[in-house]
Amino acid sequence: MLPLLRSLLRAHGGRVLYSAARHSSATYLQSFILHNTEVVTDHLTPEIRLLLLTPRCKYWHLRPEHWPYGDPYWAIYWPGGQALGRYFLDNPDVVRCRRIMDLGSGCGAVSIAAKMGGASYVVANDIDPVAAAAFALNCQLNGMDDLPFDPENIIGDDAGLWDVIALGDMFYDEQLADSLHRWLRRCMEQHGTTVLIGDPGRGHFLGHPIQKQLQKVAEYSLPESTKQENYGLTTSAVWRYQPGCS
Amino acid sequence: MNPFCEIAVEEAVRLKEKKIVSEIIAVSCGPQQCQETIRTALAMGADRGIHVDVSAKDAETLGPFQVSKVLAALAKKENVNLVLLGKQAIDDDCNQTGQMTAALLDWPQATFASEVKVEGEKLIVIREVDGGLETISVKLPAVVTADLRLNEPRYATLPNIMKAKKKKVDQVKPSDLGVDITSRVHILSVEDPPQRQAGVKVETVEDLVSKLKESGRI
Ligand SMILES: Cc1cc2nc3c(=O)[nH]c(=O)nc-3n(C[C@H](O)[C@H](O)[C@H](O)COP(=O)(O)OP(=O)(O)OC[C@H]3O[C@@H](n4cnc5c(N)ncnc54)[C@H](O)[C@@H]3O)c2cc1C
Ligand SMILES: C[S@@+](CC[C@H](N)C(=O)[O-])C[C@H]1O[C@@H](n2cnc3c(N)ncnc32)[C@H](O)[C@@H]1O
Repeated sequence: MLPLLRSLLRAHGGRVLYSAARHSSATYLQSFILHNTEVVTDHLTPEIRLLLLTPRCKYWHLRPEHWPYGDPYWAIYWPGGQALGRYFLDNPDVVRCRRIMDLGSGCGAVSIAAKMGGASYVVANDIDPVAAAAFALNCQLNGMDDLPFDPENIIGDDAGLWDVIALGDMFYDEQLADSLHRWLRRCMEQHGTTVLIGDPGRGHFLGHPIQKQLQKVAEYSLPESTKQENYGLTTSAVWRYQPGCS
Repeated sequence: MNPFCEIAVEEAVRLKEKKIVSEIIAVSCGPQQCQETIRTALAMGADRGIHVDVSAKDAETLGPFQVSKVLAALAKKENVNLVLLGKQAIDDDCNQTGQMTAALLDWPQATFASEVKVEGEKLIVIREVDGGLETISVKLPAVVTADLRLNEPRYATLPNIMKAKKKKVDQVKPSDLGVDITSRVHILSVEDPPQRQAGVKVETVEDLVSKLKESGRI
């Protein structure tokens, strides 16, 4: 839990700070999550139980400005993450005995799926301190000891340690997509890292130059509840990054 | 957002969910507040937005002709196959923008739609007309305007509003599109409707009936 606390003490967008000491202690965060989410299995990986925001939770219906933290990306199992999770569970060879980095882990389902698929080492990485608390709770909920969590921004770092970098729905933001693209290319070139991307076909992703170097390896229809959280989207896919194959 | 525009956005999202449409661009012309309207459309499922920036002062004289010139220019620039709009704005009740956009593009139009189906390169549209329902077929690309009963728009929920914040909204000026927004209409006068008196709130049907009796209406 130490890295979590350290990252909590850093200034975080101002919003968490107004009562930082109390409202961002790990215990407080966990109790906030337990009170404002519920256990959900109606997603593409029903074998994984997750604490998520649903229409039965009060914040679902409130205006976003009432939410006391940064955007609750961890309270949603994104279509991209769902496709990756399903892909790992159905194709355990992809992760078995391998070292997996789940970048932008959110609720942590992709990490949990990789572990269930037999990965030898999994690290969930997210710069949102609340995601760390949500991840710990979701590990426990699935009968797993807490998996390692890294709260630092590792985009740009040396990735020699990883066999696979998994990215669930990380191409939602243009700037982030650009910096990821440069870094992922380097990881592949220097270490031959396998890069797997889950994405439902968002605009930033389909329009991004990285598209030319991707190969679709699986596609899934989204469950009804996921469609309700993602108006306009009905499917999600897993893509393997292969620079040079353009 | 204007209620009929909301219905048009909803229809576009439904077409996207049926995989008939691949991308939805939400467009609004006007001052800075338009961005909020665009965000609402993005939270309903549109993919990206274009805000055609018109100063608050110029927006006062922005009429259907100017807006349709902007929309026609954007439709060409973005190479779209379908322009969906509300049948009319509820502030000026003009009911002209869709029709003029179609004319400027020289595309077929289907106005007052209460049902839209895509069949290959054609649209089958049911229109609400005075005598009942009329079914027409138009070739794509086309302009469609939405009537009240086309659909019931969905509500933007927290997850969708949150995701909408990250969607792209480009800003352009009418002049970037080669559009002159000078108005050619002179409004001679505008009169407010007579002031309505405050009503009373009733709790039950019985209350309502007794109130109506009291006031001698029934
Ligand atoms: C922009 C727009 C344009 C439209 N144009 C047309 C059109 O051209 N043609 C057409 O046929 N239809 C049109 N409609 C639809 C039409 O207005 C509605 O279908 C119709 O008004 C519905 O009537 P209603 O009596 O059911 O409800 P409403 O008209 O919504 O009446 C509800 C009324 O009851 C009052 N009320 C509610 N609760 C209480 C209470 N407890 N105590 C006291 N008062 C209460 C409300 O204040 C309100 O005034 C349009 C709708 C919109 C939004
Ligand atoms: C769209 S969510 C996806 C969550 C999860 N992968 C899934 O698919 O359900 C994106 C997540 O990335 C995190 N994030 C954003 N920038 C990041 C960065 N530079 N490094 C690590 N995580 C980041 C956010 O906090 C958020 O939890």
